Amino acid sequence: MKGSASLSLLHRFSAHPDSRCWFVSWNSSGTLLASCGGDKVIRVWGREGDSWVCKNVLEDSHQRTVRKVAWSPCSNYLASASFDATTCIWKKKIEGFESLTVLEGHENEVKCVSWAPSGNLLATCSRDKSVWIWEVDEEDEYECVTVLNSHTQDVKHVVWHPTQELLASASYDNNICLYREEDDDWECQVTLEGHSSTVWSLSFDASGHRLASCSDDRTVKIWQEFPRDQAGTGESSWKCVCTLSGFHGRTVYDVDWCKVTGALATACGDDTVRVFKEDESSDPDQPIFSMVAQATKAHSQDVNCAAWNPKEAGLLATCSDEGDIAIWKFKEE
Amino acid sequence: MSAGSRLENANPVIFQRSGERRLTAAEEEENVDDPIDDREIFDLIRTINDPEHPLSLEELNVVEQIRVQINDAESIVGIEFTPTIPHCSMATLIGLSIKVKLLRSLPNRFKIDVHITPGTHASEDAVNKQLADKERVAAALENSSLLEVVNQCLTNRNI
Amino acid sequence: MAADTSLLPSLVEEFVSGLQDNKAKEVATGVTEGKFAILQLVEALEESLTSSQPQTRARGIQLLSEVLNRCHGNLTEREVEVLIAFYENRLKDHYVVTSSVLQGLGALSKCKMLPPGSAVSMLRSLFQDVHVQSLMLAERSCVYNMLINLMETREAELKGLGSDFVFGFVQSMDGERDPRNLLLAFQIAKNIIYRGYDLGKFTEELFEVTGCYFPIDFTPPPNDPHRITKEELIEALRAVLTGTPKFAEFLLPLLIEKIDSDVQSAKLDSLQTLAACVTHYEHKDLAEYLDGLWTSLRREVFQTSSEKIESAGLAALTALTSCVSSSVLSSESEDVLSSFLDLVLRDCKHHLSEPDLKLVWPSAKLLQAACSASIRASHIVTSAAMPSLIEQYSNRTQCSQRRTLLEVMLRFLQSVKTSQSPDNDESVFVSMRESLCSTVFSALSENNSSLQITATSMLTSLAQQTGLLLDSDVDVAVDHLIRLLLIEDDDCVSLAVVESARALAQLHPDIFISKLIPRLKTELFSEPMDQDKNRAASGQHSHHAVRQRCLSALAAVSVQPSIVLESTPVLLEVLNSAHTGSISFSVEEVVSTCHSLQKIAEQVEDTVETGLCFHVTVLPRLFSLALQGALQGEKSSGGRSPLLDEQVLSAMVSVVSTSCSRLQPMLAAETAKKVVSLFLDADVSLLPDNSFPSQIQLLKGESWSQSQMVCLLMGCVCSLPRSVEVPQMNRLLSQLEEMSCTCSHHLSFTSAAKCFSGLVNKHPQGEALDSLIQSTLKTVCGELDSTSSTVRTQAFTLLIWVAKALLLRYHPVSATLTDKLFSLLNDSDLGPMAADGFSLLMCDSEDVLNRRCHADIRIMYRQRFFSENSAKLVQGFNAAPQEKKSNYLKALSNIVNQLPKQVQITELPALLTLLLEALSCPDQGVQLSTLSCLEPVLIDPPPAIIQQLEALVSRLLALISSPAMKVKIVSLRCVHALSQFPTHEILPFRARVIRALAQPLDDKKRLVRREAVRARGEWFLVGSPGGR
Repeated sequence: MKGSASLSLLHRFSAHPDSRCWFVSWNSSGTLLASCGGDKVIRVWGREGDSWVCKNVLEDSHQRTVRKVAWSPCSNYLASASFDATTCIWKKKIEGFESLTVLEGHENEVKCVSWAPSGNLLATCSRDKSVWIWEVDEEDEYECVTVLNSHTQDVKHVVWHPTQELLASASYDNNICLYREEDDDWECQVTLEGHSSTVWSLSFDASGHRLASCSDDRTVKIWQEFPRDQAGTGESSWKCVCTLSGFHGRTVYDVDWCKVTGALATACGDDTVRVFKEDESSDPDQPIFSMVAQATKAHSQDVNCAAWNPKEAGLLATCSDEGDIAIWKFKEE
Repeated sequence: MSAGSRLENANPVIFQRSGERRLTAAEEEENVDDPIDDREIFDLIRTINDPEHPLSLEELNVVEQIRVQINDAESIVGIEFTPTIPHCSMATLIGLSIKVKLLRSLPNRFKIDVHITPGTHASEDAVNKQLADKERVAAALENSSLLEVVNQCLTNRNI
Repeated sequence: MAADTSLLPSLVEEFVSGLQDNKAKEVATGVTEGKFAILQLVEALEESLTSSQPQTRARGIQLLSEVLNRCHGNLTEREVEVLIAFYENRLKDHYVVTSSVLQGLGALSKCKMLPPGSAVSMLRSLFQDVHVQSLMLAERSCVYNMLINLMETREAELKGLGSDFVFGFVQSMDGERDPRNLLLAFQIAKNIIYRGYDLGKFTEELFEVTGCYFPIDFTPPPNDPHRITKEELIEALRAVLTGTPKFAEFLLPLLIEKIDSDVQSAKLDSLQTLAACVTHYEHKDLAEYLDGLWTSLRREVFQTSSEKIESAGLAALTALTSCVSSSVLSSESEDVLSSFLDLVLRDCKHHLSEPDLKLVWPSAKLLQAACSASIRASHIVTSAAMPSLIEQYSNRTQCSQRRTLLEVMLRFLQSVKTSQSPDNDESVFVSMRESLCSTVFSALSENNSSLQITATSMLTSLAQQTGLLLDSDVDVAVDHLIRLLLIEDDDCVSLAVVESARALAQLHPDIFISKLIPRLKTELFSEPMDQDKNRAASGQHSHHAVRQRCLSALAAVSVQPSIVLESTPVLLEVLNSAHTGSISFSVEEVVSTCHSLQKIAEQVEDTVETGLCFHVTVLPRLFSLALQGALQGEKSSGGRSPLLDEQVLSAMVSVVSTSCSRLQPMLAAETAKKVVSLFLDADVSLLPDNSFPSQIQLLKGESWSQSQMVCLLMGCVCSLPRSVEVPQMNRLLSQLEEMSCTCSHHLSFTSAAKCFSGLVNKHPQGEALDSLIQSTLKTVCGELDSTSSTVRTQAFTLLIWVAKALLLRYHPVSATLTDKLFSLLNDSDLGPMAADGFSLLMCDSEDVLNRRCHADIRIMYRQRFFSENSAKLVQGFNAAPQEKKSNYLKALSNIVNQLPKQVQITELPALLTLLLEALSCPDQGVQLSTLSCLEPVLIDPPPAIIQQLEALVSRLLALISSPAMKVKIVSLRCVHALSQFPTHEILPFRARVIRALAQPLDDKKRLVRREAVRARGEWFLVGSPGGR
């Protein structure tokens, strides 16, 4: 471990009693944290003084586990992806959340939902191996515009590029696909191969030139976009520029790139949360990342998700199979 | 098991059941620690019923004590199980039953790895990968017909 | 008496038109009392009976039938004749009327006065005019009951109907669905078959109409008021189907088909039915199915994993072979048994010699089942199978395989059928004697303990085969047993060796007397060698183990009087040497010696010989040694005799007690007289050597070593059979009472109290007893109520034992004593002791006041005590100050724990709140005893418990994290029991329980973890698909 940085626990609270907490997500202003879990319920947490309290409970909508939640860029909407094969869109009102619409279409469990930065597009992915892109209009009407079948197995995660309409997906088939709209048609532009087992999660850095992926093969890979030198179609290629191996004892379930500090947080099945940073001296095209902080036994069971607060630097939320959420402070000396 | 359907392995070889574990004096001593050992894990899984035959996994030699690895201090358990025939279509279900039994019976701190004994099944990589994917396992257990079959494997059968 | 018929028409009117059902009873009473005759009733009914309205006719007939049901015993033959004719005629009437008609006929069928021919005529009309299966359930029952009644009383007449009867019955029954009616129908069918009714050409029909229900598939509906079980139906049907060889050609193919069923219960039923039917058959009945049956049985035994099915299959094979065996052998006909066994051997024998012995057990079991069917079968099978097994044993070297072979051989030995007649003495194994012996002896010499254990069992079996072993063989066997006994440390092996010795000693006592006993004696009296320091500890330990084994072996072989006469002196010698110190024996060894003596006294046959041995030799010696030890007392030099040790004394008491209670009452009376004289008058004539000081005052002894001898007195006088009068009773009682209240040595005053109570319990009823009790009570209460008394504990001890003595015999004053006990629960010093005292009251005591000592124990005394006092206990609890409440709870759990389970269940609702309270009591003893008594009740919970579920769950979940391992285990078992409650009641608790059970999964004790796994697994299945 390099440098002198620390990861200290600020709060720990039980979010989904008697089941696991699968995912946590901050709203854009970083004031609210949404969590979802095996109890089929979504909870929204906010800080009150020195502790975290549950502001809203969204229940009775999904029939099975809620796997992921995502705030829209304006944070007026919350989307939830569930094993009951539906994606629910909630509208934030003053008194609470109202279920606006339920998106159906996937054949089985929906594993992820993600909003494009424009707020007009939504992506979902499922065990049925497909990725769906939905368009939403001013009247809150959702319409599926494309179904992409580039993966050969269960798709675990989808995430949008921070600035462009580029979508990335991660799958049980060990691959990552990148999609773009070309002539009114969405298609898979690039397939990134390299992981030797399921890819669980993805995260773009602030600029969108780099993509971090984490996998069941216990590694984290950093992919970088290399633009074609010549003028032409403008297509770019992505290469794996760094592989972090030997740090994680078991499957890495989540990776998150902090848009404020550039730190990389991982959630691992060995109950540990780790933070990595790029060495300042490393070659930008062949970067070296070092682990700068870790919290072993961060939770008493697998850590499922790690999420940096988008506004407050160094504030990290994690959640675990034992149903708890933990809030950490990452400080670099 | 419906009458008249043909089993894949209609005449399995039946292995002898091991007897009950003998009680030692130390186990009755209040102040002595009994670490969790491989026999204890084996006792958890050996009575699991096979989904097709009215026999246990032990009697079919699908599980053996020697293929149980446990490290109590590091909270890791590894099980290798051997399907009765190389194309056994029940392999995933058997592996799932073993996993569920251990999930329900071991303290939460344990990491549980269930694999097919190398070289004993045509699709062992695929099966192993499914069993290792906790999201897939969780989703499977929310399927009530699958849960029903698993629960039946885990119920004590008496006649 | 003039018939008073004036009332009749109005009663009839009220019944028929007024629909007042109770009038039938009045009319019936009238008929029975002779106020009116039955035919006058018929006349009175004329109008109704001829009405054009069928309902009116029905009412009329209903009245008549109900009256008949009550009065059928009072009718004359003539009246019956008329009535039958009437009713038969009415069978043709409108269907609304039929039910009443049948009721009437049913009543008539019970009449003793049935004219000849009427039974036949009733049935003819019935079969002709009524389609039974179109009737309602109750009406069909009526028909069946009628048949049963008539078959009971008019068998000859019904048989005159020939096979028409059977045909009529078959038609009546065909398609019956109701289980109660089926039981009736099966009974009729059974009577038809067993009582020899002519089946004519309807044999197959009768079979089909009953056999279609086979195998029975019946689940009793919940809340069935009739409580008919599946087993009842199976038994009833089985009796029908297996009753006659005429069914063989239909039944056997059906059984072969159903044995192959996937449904386990159908398989089991078929196998059991097969075993039952062949006992009625001869070979010719099953000849053509023999192959098919054998194939099925073989398949079931080879493929099953269920023990029940396996044993049913084997039992069927035995029955089958037995049937085939009893076919008569004539010179022309084929030896059918031989060919059948050839078939069996052909399929099974080769498995016995397979290299990996995978299928040896199923094959062996099949062969053994055939073997045990008959003597001839035993001969054939063993001569085919055994030689190969013996040969293989010597050829194989793997221990596990040898063991398997040995066990298979052992089972064969145990399976052979032996002849009843003594002339035919030759065992089937005679030709293999030498090789069998050498196999067994070689196995006994192996180092492997499981091999040795099997070999000793085999030795026993060989010895039990009459006329097999030669004396020289037994000689060698005893040598082996001695060797193993002395050398083998393994507990299981020693146990097996001792058992074998016991069996052999009974058959060959002389060899044991001449070889075993001297050898054991030598071992007992040898001191451990002086080893150097390192080996001293283990050497001593193993020497001690050898001695223990010798002692238990001596006891085990001492069953025949001749051996007893040799072995008891050895044991007495041990005690003597221990006492004088000439050979050193540990206290444990001395205790074991006494236990051996006690075991012998218990197992030996009660003859004059053995009685004399104990009463004249053993007991006097014991008393003498004990007294010597007592007089020596605590010596400053040379230590003290081990005979002073409480444990040794207690073991001696058991010898005295067993001897006096079961051996030769006359001699026991003699012994008692002398013992009492010893204690009361210092008369030493009991003792073998007279070198004792003459003024020993044992009951007033100042030294504890002398006063504690009173327990030997107790062992003697309190164990006497009722027929023996206790000598000098009054003097004894008064001295014992005084001793128990004044002596300060705990064992002494307690034993004195116990002795006193033992005598009080058997004291004849009457004024003497009553005044004795009153006086004792006065003394005791005097001490207890006085705060300055120094002997409150002694008084309390006497109180509790006398209370027990009186409680057991239901003496009225026992209530006074137990009330006193209740009041003591509040006492600051004696409170906890009083609570424990209730355990003493309710539990069986080891050495006194139990059935073996011929105590006066009335049945159900515990229940009675409980029902008379439970309210008092609850009141006391409620009124008690907080710090005393735990005494009440402890008392309660002590009492409830000892009640028979059925009583616990019925009494529980009243006590539930109190028991739940007890679960929260911090005292672990109370928690444990409450849990133990709750556990069986939870397995079969009364509704009262289900209402208290919340409280129960909370308390149990709290107890599973108790620091005490035992409490954790029992509460986890209780939580497991809860998982079997009705799902809708416990479902709300599921998440909470599963969460709470996660913690004990990680308990440091394996036994706790095991219970937690069991409980949690069950709770996961609650309300889950595929669960219960």
